Amino acid sequence: MLAAAISYVPYPSWLNPGDNTWQLTAATFVGLMSLPGLAVLYASLVPKKWAVNVLGMMFAGFSIVMLCWFVYEYKLGFGPNSWGGGVKDINGVVTQTQLGRGGWTQFIDNFWGKPGPILSPLGEQGQAASAANTSVPFHFPTSTLAYFQLVFAAITPLLFLGSVLGRIKFSAWCLLVPLWSTFVYSIDAFLLWGGGYFAQEGALDYSGGYVIHMSAGVSGFVAAWVLGPRLLRDRQHFLPNNLVMAAVGAGILWLGWNGFNGGDPYYAGSDAATAVVNTNLATAAGLLTWVALDAWLSKEKKPTFLGAVNGLICGLVGITPGAGWVNGQGAIFIGIICCVIVWVAWNFLSKVRPFSKVDDALGVVYTHGIAGFFGGLLLGVFGDPGNLSLGCGHLDASGQVIATTTTQYATAGGSCTPFGVAGLVYTGSAHQLWEQFRAAIWVILWSALVTFLIMHLLKVVLRGVRYKDEILEVGDLAIHGEEAFPEEAFASRVGISVGGGSREVFENEPPQPDDPVPSGGSGS
Amino acid sequence: MKLVVAVVKPFKLDDVKEALKALGVHGMTVSEVQGFGRQRGHTEVYRGAEYEVEFVPKVRLEILVDDTQAEPVTTAIVDAAGTGKIGDGKVWIVGVEEVVRVRTGERGSEAL
Repeated sequence: MLAAAISYVPYPSWLNPGDNTWQLTAATFVGLMSLPGLAVLYASLVPKKWAVNVLGMMFAGFSIVMLCWFVYEYKLGFGPNSWGGGVKDINGVVTQTQLGRGGWTQFIDNFWGKPGPILSPLGEQGQAASAANTSVPFHFPTSTLAYFQLVFAAITPLLFLGSVLGRIKFSAWCLLVPLWSTFVYSIDAFLLWGGGYFAQEGALDYSGGYVIHMSAGVSGFVAAWVLGPRLLRDRQHFLPNNLVMAAVGAGILWLGWNGFNGGDPYYAGSDAATAVVNTNLATAAGLLTWVALDAWLSKEKKPTFLGAVNGLICGLVGITPGAGWVNGQGAIFIGIICCVIVWVAWNFLSKVRPFSKVDDALGVVYTHGIAGFFGGLLLGVFGDPGNLSLGCGHLDASGQVIATTTTQYATAGGSCTPFGVAGLVYTGSAHQLWEQFRAAIWVILWSALVTFLIMHLLKVVLRGVRYKDEILEVGDLAIHGEEAFPEEAFASRVGISVGGGSREVFENEPPQPDDPVPSGGSGS
Repeated sequence: MKLVVAVVKPFKLDDVKEALKALGVHGMTVSEVQGFGRQRGHTEVYRGAEYEVEFVPKVRLEILVDDTQAEPVTTAIVDAAGTGKIGDGKVWIVGVEEVVRVRTGERGSEAL
């Protein structure tokens, strides 16, 4: 009796609880990298007078992208194409065939997705589908994929806050974030991940070395250029306010990156584990490289802690484009190479135009821009075709893997070839390197151009995007009316607001010595 | 009455405090201060940028004493705080017109 077998079930058979669990966990880890990770790291790297402003912009920026993402941006980056092309809609229905007309037509047809909300029951609970992955069905709902992609979208503008902090108006930031997220991030995400032109051409970006880090580095640099520098006095006294909190932020970034790279296979499989291990190898190598260079080659010859943080970030960013496609050895090389390049750039390139003439406050263009650029290229060098992100085997009708042995997984069969990346050192082919290079040039030019246009638009609309000098001299107190470390002994309550006024009498409160004496005489 | 003011190296504070207690000094006020004399400052490096810090951290002690105690207290501080190296600090004595204990209103030597 079929009817008797029907009972309550928690999810349809296409859903795999293991995949769904890891994907949501990984997404939460990546979210923690923004709040509190990056917020605390940046807020502790600036002088006391700017800490609240950094925190305010971080939390507001995260919230802005959150709303934009689910209302229209997710489909812009990962939905069906706007013009002509397109693959599946969010319900998994193939609406149009993938275009391959070649040249500019193909580029235009596969430029961005059609924006729209995913707030309906089916939008949230239906099976995820995107040209981000057409090989194996996703084993989780759209909400999971969209939230995972959201936390990446959200951290990217927060990264380049490091370039523009210390002078950008709060209002300018709150408009820059959605505009940039729409016209730079979502488009690059579609082009490289969402099945757009560069994805079709074969450019690869495991977790965002280009779409996130290089784009943030370039955009921050251009925005800082349009914005002008911080006050001279601030530049000469730009000391971090708390290295211990910087350690907390940097530590959350590092371990949070287990989700950042470990979540990108979209399945809780061996490639996720590989990506996690490779990420940590590259990070440790990058950190130690920077510390060694500081200790041996810097002017001060001291192993600085904030140098270690820079090296850690270089390693993380460098491994991001290839985390699950290189092997462990490649990961260590990538960590070291990216770190050496960025260390040299940080110490020497910074003295050369245009770097010497643009006030990129926290040096985002180096640790994210340059590290992301070279990390992406190094995938074309160290990509190991034996390091599979997808193997071959059997799926049942609901898309779950069945009866697949280790040997079958790694062996080509039928129409299936296991997917790994063919890097220069393992195959002698520079093809992947070339695809990486083309995509990198696109991301650099697009990020720079659109950021430039947005900043100039905001300059007109807001009649200036930076605060007046009188406000910059004061910082947090002038902008937010708050201080990072308020001193309660020097401040006392006035007026009436939340929680009672300066002297409301509460229920069951004993008389206070300075209360006005009621008629009838004093009690003391 | 006198106010003995001393600026000494922070890691010598314990020695100075013990020496003064041994002399029967009842109280003192200390604060962390920054300053420079003949001792040069130092450089700090944050994210590859060098900063010159001309001021050196010191501890400042303020001790109210009777006229007769001023000299032994000063000597005790100099003995306890000295290392013989540059940057040991300074001690100076200032005349005090009046002292009042806030709790009781006692004045002069009574208030010490």
